[in-house]
Amino acid sequence: MKTNGLYSKEEKIFQDKNKLYQAHSVKQIAYSTDPRDFGQVAKSIPCQEACPARTNIPGYIRCINEKRYGRAYELNRGANIMPGVLGRICSRPCETACRHGAPDNGVSVGICHLKRACADLKSPMHRIIEGLYAPSGKSVAVVGSGPAGLAAAHDLAILGHRAVVFETMEKPGGMLMYGIPEFRLPRDLLMTEINNILRLGVELKTGQAVGTHITLETLTREFDAVVVAAGCTKPRLLGVEGEDLENVYNGLDFMKQINKLIGDKLIGDRPQLINRINSGQSPIDRQINRGLSPIKKINWGLSPIKNVAVIGGGFTAVDCARSAIRLGAEQVTLYIRKTMDDMRIDETEKHEARFEGIGVESLVQPARILGENGRVSGIEFVRTRIETTEKPPYKKSVPIAGSEFVVPCDSVIAALGQAPDAHDVSDALTGLDKDSPATGMKGVFAAGDFVTGSTDVISAIAGGRRTALAVDLYLTAMERKKTVVRLESHATTDRPRSYDFIDRVPMNTIAMDQRLADHTREVETGFDPDQALAESRRCYLCSLKYEIDPLRCIYCSACIDVAPKDCIKMVETIPVNADGTYGRYVETGQWDRVVSITIDNEACIRCGQCYEVCPMDCISVTKTELIQMDMDE
Amino acid sequence: MPTSDHYVIIGNGPAGNAAAFTLRENDPDARITIISHENISFYAKPKLVRYLAGDIDKSALMVKEPDAYLQNNIRLRLGQTVMRIDLQNRCLHLAHMETVQYTRLVIASGSRARLLPSMKPYADCLTFVTEYNDIKGMREKIAAGKHFFVFGGDLVAFKFLKMLTHMKKQVTLLLYPKAFWPHTLTHAMQKTIVDNLARTGAHILVNDDLDTIVPEEQGGYNVTTQQGVKKQADLVFTFNGLIPNVDFARGCGLDIDHGILVDETMRTCLENVFACGSCAQIYNPDLTAYTTSIGWPNAVAQGKVAGLNLAGETCRVQQAGRKYFDLEGVKIKTTWWEDADREDTEGEDTDREGNDRKDADFKNTERKDVECKDTDRDRKTGEKDGR
Ligand SMILES: Cc1cc2nc3c(=O)[nH]c(=O)nc-3n(C[C@H](O)[C@H](O)[C@H](O)COP(=O)(O)OP(=O)(O)OC[C@H]3O[C@@H](n4cnc5c(N)ncnc54)[C@H](O)[C@@H]3O)c2cc1C
Ligand code: SF4
Ligand code: SF4
Repeated sequence: MKTNGLYSKEEKIFQDKNKLYQAHSVKQIAYSTDPRDFGQVAKSIPCQEACPARTNIPGYIRCINEKRYGRAYELNRGANIMPGVLGRICSRPCETACRHGAPDNGVSVGICHLKRACADLKSPMHRIIEGLYAPSGKSVAVVGSGPAGLAAAHDLAILGHRAVVFETMEKPGGMLMYGIPEFRLPRDLLMTEINNILRLGVELKTGQAVGTHITLETLTREFDAVVVAAGCTKPRLLGVEGEDLENVYNGLDFMKQINKLIGDKLIGDRPQLINRINSGQSPIDRQINRGLSPIKKINWGLSPIKNVAVIGGGFTAVDCARSAIRLGAEQVTLYIRKTMDDMRIDETEKHEARFEGIGVESLVQPARILGENGRVSGIEFVRTRIETTEKPPYKKSVPIAGSEFVVPCDSVIAALGQAPDAHDVSDALTGLDKDSPATGMKGVFAAGDFVTGSTDVISAIAGGRRTALAVDLYLTAMERKKTVVRLESHATTDRPRSYDFIDRVPMNTIAMDQRLADHTREVETGFDPDQALAESRRCYLCSLKYEIDPLRCIYCSACIDVAPKDCIKMVETIPVNADGTYGRYVETGQWDRVVSITIDNEACIRCGQCYEVCPMDCISVTKTELIQMDMDE
Repeated sequence: MPTSDHYVIIGNGPAGNAAAFTLRENDPDARITIISHENISFYAKPKLVRYLAGDIDKSALMVKEPDAYLQNNIRLRLGQTVMRIDLQNRCLHLAHMETVQYTRLVIASGSRARLLPSMKPYADCLTFVTEYNDIKGMREKIAAGKHFFVFGGDLVAFKFLKMLTHMKKQVTLLLYPKAFWPHTLTHAMQKTIVDNLARTGAHILVNDDLDTIVPEEQGGYNVTTQQGVKKQADLVFTFNGLIPNVDFARGCGLDIDHGILVDETMRTCLENVFACGSCAQIYNPDLTAYTTSIGWPNAVAQGKVAGLNLAGETCRVQQAGRKYFDLEGVKIKTTWWEDADREDTEGEDTDREGNDRKDADFKNTERKDVECKDTDRDRKTGEKDGR
C-alpha cells in the first residue's frame, strides 16, 4: 500500500496545520430547514443521496480515518441498522454515484468495504446506542423478518410500540438467511445484527406463515396495526417448452434449499453436500416449495450437477452459479438477455464470478429446454439484439430470427427474479402502491420488496423504516421526527491533495482451493486497519461545502487559476427551482455580467487549492449533515 | 455534405485508417481528424513481436508515415487519449481536458490485452505486447536478458516463444488451455501443441497456474506456480487474447456488450456514431453468433464500410466466414484471425519489398468486402445528390 502508516512531508505539514486550526477554532453550529440547504446537501453529497437509507457516508468514513470505528458503526446503524451485513452484500448504489468515480476523477471510494471495516474493526466490547421513546401501549404485527420487516420492527420498538414479527421459516432474516449464500454473508454475523434488533424487545415468532397458520384478519384484530413485509416469492417463469423437466430449478428455491441444508448443519463442506444432494437425504421443506415455484420438484436425489446453465444476470443468478461451482459443477455459464453492461450486479461480484470460472453468454434468450427421459439435456437459445424504444424500458432485447443454437447441459437454473404474491398473505389485501406505505386495508401497511417488487436489501431497510414512521403517525397522530441540515463551521479542508491519487484498496479474498474446500467459508476477508485507513483517505468528504464570500471577493481569479476541475464558476444568475432549491448556475464569460464567483459544489473535489491561494481569505468551509431531530427538541 | 461537418475517428489502427482514407476518397472536402493515444503513426501490430525480437527495425513496422496524412488533409492527433464521449453534446473529452466537437464519430479504438482474473494482483509485474507503447524499451531488455516467463497460449505467444528460443533465450511457457480465447483447447489439441513447442527447447508447463510473482530488488521477477515450480525471469509476458478496448465509452449511452454493438452498416444505436474494427461487436448470421472482429482484414473491411457510410452511402459489411488456420499443428476454425505476418515468418525478404508490402494489407482489401445495396441508398439519396 502506498500510504500504509507513512506520512509524506506534505501530509505532515498538513496535519500540523490542522492541529493549529483546531486549537484556535470555535465551532459554530446551526440547524436549517431551508429547502436551499436540503437541495445543496442532496447535490453535494451524491453518495448519501443515492443511499436509500441516507447513510452519512462522509461522516463515517471520516471516523474510520480517525480510527473511531465504533462511532463509524453507530453512524451507519443509525441509518441502515445492519452495517456488518450491508458492508458485505449491499448493492452499493452509493458507489455508482460517488464523486470519486465521476469521469476524470478516477474510481469510486470503496464505501461498502469501509462499512464492513468499521463493523469488523470496532471493539468487541462495542456498545450500541439506541434512544428509546416511552412505551406507547400500542402493538404492531410485522409479517416477515427480512430486512424490511426487521427494520420496521426495530424502529417501531424504538418508538415505544410492541412489535411482534411473524415469520414463515424457522429462522429470521428472509433472503439474508435463505437467499444469500453463506460464503458471502456469514450467519453468525447476521444473527448478531438480528439479535441487536430483537434485544430491543421485538418478539419473533418463527414457523408462522400468515395466510396459512394465522390470518391477516386475525392480526388486524389482535394488533393496533400490521406491517406486511413478506417479500417477493413468486418466481418469474421462463415460459418456454421444457420448463417442467427434472433438473430445471427455480433460482430462489435452489438457493433456499442450499442455505437451509447448511443452516440445518446437515452439511459442512463440499463433499458432504454433494453426498447429501446425490443421495437424496435432504429433507424437502414443504414450506419452501409451498406454491412458490411452478417447478415443484426440487429433488436433490437427481444426477449430479455437472454442466449448469443459469438463466439470468442478477444477484440471485450469480449466487446460484457460484453455489453450483461449490456443489461440484464442472461448467457453469450465465445466460443473459441483454449486454454485459446490463448485468445488475456490481463489478466486485462480476470479478469473483469470473475468478471462480463462471462464464457469461450475453445477448441470448432460451427458446426451449431440451430433454431426454424427462431430464434436461440441453437448451436451445436464440440470439437477441438490443432495440431502443421511445418509452421505458428504453432498451429491450429482441430475438434475432434464424439465430437458434443449442448448448448441452444437465441442469438449468432459472433465476429471472420474482414478484410479490399478495394473495399468499390474504385475498383481502389490495391497494398496494409502491410509493405509499399504506394499503387498501385500514391499519395494514406494507414495506420492502412486497410492495416495490424485487429491489435490494438497502432499499428494503429504508422502506421498512419509512413504513414504521407511517405506522407511528397512524397510531399516535403525532409527527415525532424531523430532518434538518446541521451546519458546522469547519476551519480546515481536512485532507491534502495527495490523497486524491491513492489507488482504491482491493478487497482481500481467499484462494480458490479454500473456497472449494469449505463451502461456507467467507470469500472476502475484510480490510486490516492500514487498508481501512488508506481507503478512508480517498474520500473527498463531500459534506464539506466550500463557499466564496461575495462581499470579500476581489475577483482576482486566483482560485480559478489553481482549480483542478471546472469547479469555480463566473455566474450571472442562480435560478431558484419551484421546490425552493437552487437550480443550475447560469454562467457567463463576460466580466461585466458576473454577479459572483461561485464554487460549484457538484464539481468540487474538496481539494482545498482555492482555499490555500485566496489572498482575501474569503473561502469558507462548512460541514453540512442531514440529521434527524425530535419534533419537540 | 457541408464542409463544416467534423468527422472524428478514435483510433489509428487499420479500422480507423480505412475509415478515414475511404471517407477522404469519397469526400475530398470533409474535415477529418484521427485521435490516437499512442505517440506513433499507423504501424503493423502483427509485426510487434518481430520488432521486439530485433528482427525488424522501426521503419519496417510502420504502415503510414505522418506525411500521408498531411497529403490527404487528415488531421492526426497523436498522444491524445479520449476519456469520455458526450453523445448529447456531440463532443469528446480528452485526457488533457480539451473537448473536441464532432458531427459524426467513428470509434475504432481496437483491443487491449485480456487480463485473467487470477493475474489481476500481479498486473504491475506483467509485460503485455499489445501496442507499441507497451514495449518501449523492451527490445533492449530482451536483448540483454536470459530468462523469460510467458503466460498464456494464444497465437502471438507461440510466435514470440519461437523468436525468443531462436535468440537462444531460456523460456518457460505456462500454457493456459483457455488462453486462445474464444476457443478452449481440448486435451488432444493441447498435447499436439505442447509436443510441437517442446521442440523449440522451451520449458512448457501445463495443468498449472500462477501462484505468485515477486519482483526482485535488482530487477527481474521470481515466479512460483501452484504446482511449486519456481523460476527466475528477467521479464514476465502474458498473452491471453485480446478484448475490445471500450472502457472509455462505457456509460455514455451506446449499447456495449463485450464490444460496441453495431449493425452491418457499422452504425451503433445512434445514427451519427459508428464503430469498427476490434472494438465493435457485430452479429454474424452465417455463424449465428456475435463476433468482436479481432483481426486485421476484418478491421480494414469494417473501416471501409464505416468510411463509405460516413460519406453518405449505405453499405453493408460482408461478414467473413470461418477459416482454418494452423496453431502449432492444430487446425483452429475462426472468423477473426489470419496470420497477417505470415509471409514474413516464412522468411520473405521484407526489406526488399519494404513500403509496398506495408500498404499491401490495406490496399488488397478491395470493395469485394463491401456490398452496396441500391435499395438501401434511397434513404440517403438527398445527401448523395448534393455531393
Ligand atoms: C502482437 C499482436 C499480433 C497480432 N497479429 C495478428 C495477425 O497475425 N493477424 C491478424 O489478423 N491480426 C493480428 N493482430 C490483431 C490486429 O493487429 C488487430 O486486429 C488490429 O490491429 C485491430 O484493428 P483496430 O483498428 O480495430 O484496432 P488497433 O489496431 O488496436 O488500433 C486502435 C487505435 O485506437 C487508439 N485508441 C484506443 N483507445 C483510445 C482512446 N481512448 N483515445 C485515443 N485513441 C485511442 C490506439 O492508440 C490505436 O491507435 C495482432 C495483434 C497484436 C497485438
Ligand atoms: S468522495 Fe466520499 S463523500 Fe464524496 S461521494 Fe464519494 S464517498 Fe461520498
Ligand atoms: S476545493 Fe476549490 S479548487 Fe478544489 S475542487 Fe473544490 S472549488 Fe475547486
